[in-house]
Amino acid sequence: MADPAVRQRAEELASTLPPLLVAAERVAMTVAQGVHGRRRVGPGESFWQYRRYEQGDAATVIDWRQSAKSDRLFVRQQEWEAAQSVWLWRDNSPSMHYRSGFTPSKIDRATLLLVALAALLIRGGERIALLGEERLPGSGRAALARVAATLVARAKADGPSGSLPPAEQLPRFSSLILIGDFLSPIEEIEPVIRGYAARGITGHLLQVLDPAEEDLPFTGRTEFEGVEGEGRLVVSRVEGLRDSYLKRLADRRANLKQLTRAAGWTFSTHRTDRPAQVPLLLLYELLSTGEG
Amino acid sequence: MLIFGNLAFAAPWVLAALASLPVLLWLMRVTPPTPKRIDFPAIRLLFGLQSPEETPAKTPLWLLLLRALVATLIILALANPILNPGARLDGLGTVVLVVDDGWASADRWEPRRDTMLNLLARADREGRAVALLTTAPPPDGSPLRISGLMTANEAREEVQALQPKPWPVDRLAAAAAVRGADIDRPAEVYWLTDGILTPGEGATDDPSARELAAALQRLGTLHVLSDGPGDLSMSLSSPRIEGSDLRFTVRRASAASANIVWVRASAERGQLLSRQPVEFAPGTMAADFALDLPSELRNRVVRVELEAQRSAAAVSLLDERWRRRPVGLVSGESVDRDQPLLSGLYYVERALAPYADLRHSTISQVLERDLSVLVLADVGRLVGSDKTKLDEWVSDGGVLIRFAGPRTAQETDDLMPTRLRRGERNLGGAMTWTEPAKLAPFPQIGPFAALSISPDVRVNRQVLAEPTLDIGEKTWAKLEDGTPLVTGARYGDGWVVLFHTTANADWSDLPLSGLFVDMLRSLVRLSQGVDVQGNRVSLPPLALLDGFGRLGEPSPAAQPIASDEVETTRPGPRHPPGYYGVDEARQAFNLGGALGPLAAISGLPSSVSFEAFNESRERNLMPWLLTVALLLALTELVASFVLRGLFRGGVGVATASAIVLAVLGVAHPHSAEAQTPTQFSPPITTPAQIGDAYALNAALQTRLAFVVTGNADVDKLSEAGLLGLTRVLAARTSVEGGAPVGVDIERNEIAFFPLLYWPMTGGERPLSDQALAKVDAYMKTGGTILFDTRDAPDGGFGGTGRGTLALRTLLSQLDIPPLIPVPEGHVLTQAFYLMQDFPGRYAGGRVWVVQHGGGINDGVSTIVIGANDWAAAWALDADGWPLATVDNGDERQREMAFRFGINLVMYVLTGNYKADQVHLPAIIERLGQ
Repeated sequence: MADPAVRQRAEELASTLPPLLVAAERVAMTVAQGVHGRRRVGPGESFWQYRRYEQGDAATVIDWRQSAKSDRLFVRQQEWEAAQSVWLWRDNSPSMHYRSGFTPSKIDRATLLLVALAALLIRGGERIALLGEERLPGSGRAALARVAATLVARAKADGPSGSLPPAEQLPRFSSLILIGDFLSPIEEIEPVIRGYAARGITGHLLQVLDPAEEDLPFTGRTEFEGVEGEGRLVVSRVEGLRDSYLKRLADRRANLKQLTRAAGWTFSTHRTDRPAQVPLLLLYELLSTGEG
Repeated sequence: MLIFGNLAFAAPWVLAALASLPVLLWLMRVTPPTPKRIDFPAIRLLFGLQSPEETPAKTPLWLLLLRALVATLIILALANPILNPGARLDGLGTVVLVVDDGWASADRWEPRRDTMLNLLARADREGRAVALLTTAPPPDGSPLRISGLMTANEAREEVQALQPKPWPVDRLAAAAAVRGADIDRPAEVYWLTDGILTPGEGATDDPSARELAAALQRLGTLHVLSDGPGDLSMSLSSPRIEGSDLRFTVRRASAASANIVWVRASAERGQLLSRQPVEFAPGTMAADFALDLPSELRNRVVRVELEAQRSAAAVSLLDERWRRRPVGLVSGESVDRDQPLLSGLYYVERALAPYADLRHSTISQVLERDLSVLVLADVGRLVGSDKTKLDEWVSDGGVLIRFAGPRTAQETDDLMPTRLRRGERNLGGAMTWTEPAKLAPFPQIGPFAALSISPDVRVNRQVLAEPTLDIGEKTWAKLEDGTPLVTGARYGDGWVVLFHTTANADWSDLPLSGLFVDMLRSLVRLSQGVDVQGNRVSLPPLALLDGFGRLGEPSPAAQPIASDEVETTRPGPRHPPGYYGVDEARQAFNLGGALGPLAAISGLPSSVSFEAFNESRERNLMPWLLTVALLLALTELVASFVLRGLFRGGVGVATASAIVLAVLGVAHPHSAEAQTPTQFSPPITTPAQIGDAYALNAALQTRLAFVVTGNADVDKLSEAGLLGLTRVLAARTSVEGGAPVGVDIERNEIAFFPLLYWPMTGGERPLSDQALAKVDAYMKTGGTILFDTRDAPDGGFGGTGRGTLALRTLLSQLDIPPLIPVPEGHVLTQAFYLMQDFPGRYAGGRVWVVQHGGGINDGVSTIVIGANDWAAAWALDADGWPLATVDNGDERQREMAFRFGINLVMYVLTGNYKADQVHLPAIIERLGQ
């Protein structure tokens, strides 16, 4: 997918939702001047309220014009305008390029979701950055374009990130969106999530899987080969294995859910033959209500 | 050799391998198929899972059957099956093949060749020696000779190279060759005869066939293989001119042949002109027919042939002798093209054009080439060399037709059929009592005897002949009062004819009547046609017929024919039929005419065994079976690939069909060979072609163009800017242009581009005069130039920036109409987007356009001048990122710059359409009322 095409499709997808304002209770710690008001007093440019002068207020903050209308002194207060920073990450491992039949590949769908989310965030005035990009979060359409371009470029070349997000020093109380297939052993995933959670970072895991991975639709004698060098397996009747495979997949999802809940994160799943609006709406809900 | 009906196996022991098939099948059945391979990311989840049941997978039954079929086919192919095997040859001795390979064998040559190949295949299987004798003289002119003993395989090569000859067989010479041959007796002799004798005109018997048969019988048993009497070849004679008809004779050798044959007449390059049936009266051996074609078409015929026959004798070639006659036209008056109806020769020309080849010129020029008839319209007195040449030409057989007129009435020369009185006679004029005269019926002498007069023809004026004794004999047409209207007389070998009135409608309305056409045609028929070469010359072969009647390059052995011997020479190896001479004057030399009557061979000794040709040729089925086996094996390969999951969906089908097609292509190499090899000359690039390439590139797609300034930074930005604008145009509008072109204003043509972006750097050198003329022409013929001074911060156009100064210098040399800043409501502000100012990299600079577009250039301003450095704002890199920042970092300004670009391109491309759109509401409102 070319970069403009991804951006265009992602923006079409995002256009069905209002701008996303990340719920930010802990905004204090990830301060950055932003464009949308927080409906509370703070540094900003638009007028919020006058309040009575109190002992300790600097004389320069007194609004003399207002004060001249009455006997009291008034201080002019602005609305606090701050933006939340959101870090985004997409699994870039070879397994993400898998597609069965006519569904989009997992990486295409993950890219689309991430860019759509980024578009929503940008329209809400938030700041976004890619994990592993080593850049400060940016805002505005330029940042969106940069994120989209980087994602597309990484999907072409095998980028630096593997099947797990890199452990990076993020500011406390930022948000993190992780989209991937999370097929690595659970023991490898766990320390990463715990590491981020320990720094007070909230996160959302979205597991994107191909329908073939969810249903195991193959029949007959089949030789499976892993795409990341896991090895090979010859199965004489795949249909006989289906039930136990599905159970194992369900177990794994339960484990992941357990793991994320323990860290105060959320976990959701998506299959590539379903519309992309569903997980986008879910992420939108999670981010705007601050459940994560 | 194992024989079932018409199928035989040459190597039957291989068939024993069929017994091993069941074992092969069982082996394939127990081997499980290769598993399909699937790349699967979630394989970790599969490791260690146990399947509750294990049933061994088996190869599907249909695949097994397919493989068995392939194996069976291969075994059958190796057993060397032969379709239509011939029986054993009689006797034990040498096989002698005698074949009549003259013209008469060509029509049914394939059965003959197949029969020979069958005989050779049988001789090969029995290991017999073979001798070959052809009865037509060899093309190299060497005498007939029987070949030495060969193996059947060597003989097969000779037979395959054998072609029927376009001349008759010489059986007497063949009999002599047989008598002198040294061949062990008894031999088996097979004579493949064409069954036709050519006894010659008047002769009743031709002993040659009997003599050859007798000679052959002395060698051993003689088998005569012949066509049935209904299949014997026919011949077509050379054309003859009888009256106005072109007549031919078709001859056949047996009354059992078809009674109706179709004849085709075709023009140069094989264009079919007519196809007509010719019927033999029952029992007759010859049929006459005339070519049934209008004269115009008849003159184009170059080849007449019997449709169902394919031989050199069935083709009759035509040359100039049977073509239209060349007629020269010379007028005594000065040629007046403006009033053709008054021209002296107009009616003659119209009357003869369909039937003759007309040449206009002066007398001396017309006579330089061969001429049958010369028409002189009112040429009074011939003098000097013209007179001498004309005299000579008429004496040699030319037909001179003269028309009277005012000049003839004054004085004449002696090239006249009769002496004339000076002055003309006026009938029915204003000063006379007489009525215009009618024609009297044509006298019984002269060429017009067969014509009937036209009663409404009136003659007003004529010249009169001196009454002489022989005037009656010379008068070919006369008026009611007996005065001659047309007189004619022999002059040497030729004719001199005089119309006593004019060739146009001045003196009579004869030229207006249809009778005039018939009279002229009768006169032209007097001529004998062109004697192509008056004196004896040698005609080299030009294009010769092969045995099948196809024209081709002359063979090296063909000899020239002397021009006066064409009629008497008999076609043979030294003189094959065809065209002789040079391209402009070729002579046809036909075989059919020289043959004379045809007869069927009869009276051979009764001890000879007669056989028919073996129609079905032996065919070795091995290559076919192997091809089918290969195709099936490939199908099997594709099928098993699909079973293993190596192809998916449409890709698989496409790949499989590609493979099958590729194999089919390989399996039929002949189809590839059949194509005529084309000779490619190496392409030579000339400057004109480079110019063409540039023009095609520029013209085949709408492209924006910019002027290359020589400043690398500016040029790079211009190109990137126009590229960016082209992309934005493609994304938002229906303008899908090609990549922009940089033009060197001094050297390149700019007429192809609707819009030329011309940035000013300040370092411009003055333009040459040609370039100025080019720019001027460009602006006056519909082009628009966007001048960008790129100096808005310095005040823009009107200020004192470097770009502005440079532009002023440039414009001072051009013819520039008055300019104004873009007014409110100008089309530029509403062509696509509604906008009031036109920012580029800089905002606020004024944009100037031509004051009134007026009617010129569809109302589109030929010049747009601004200073906002638009290219910088439009410039995008390959990934679509801006290359240059805009003035204040406001991306909205870049968007507005793009909008200006789109408006400008729309404005330039749509002309006054957008301007008219402004009035659309008013128009619709008016329509509504």
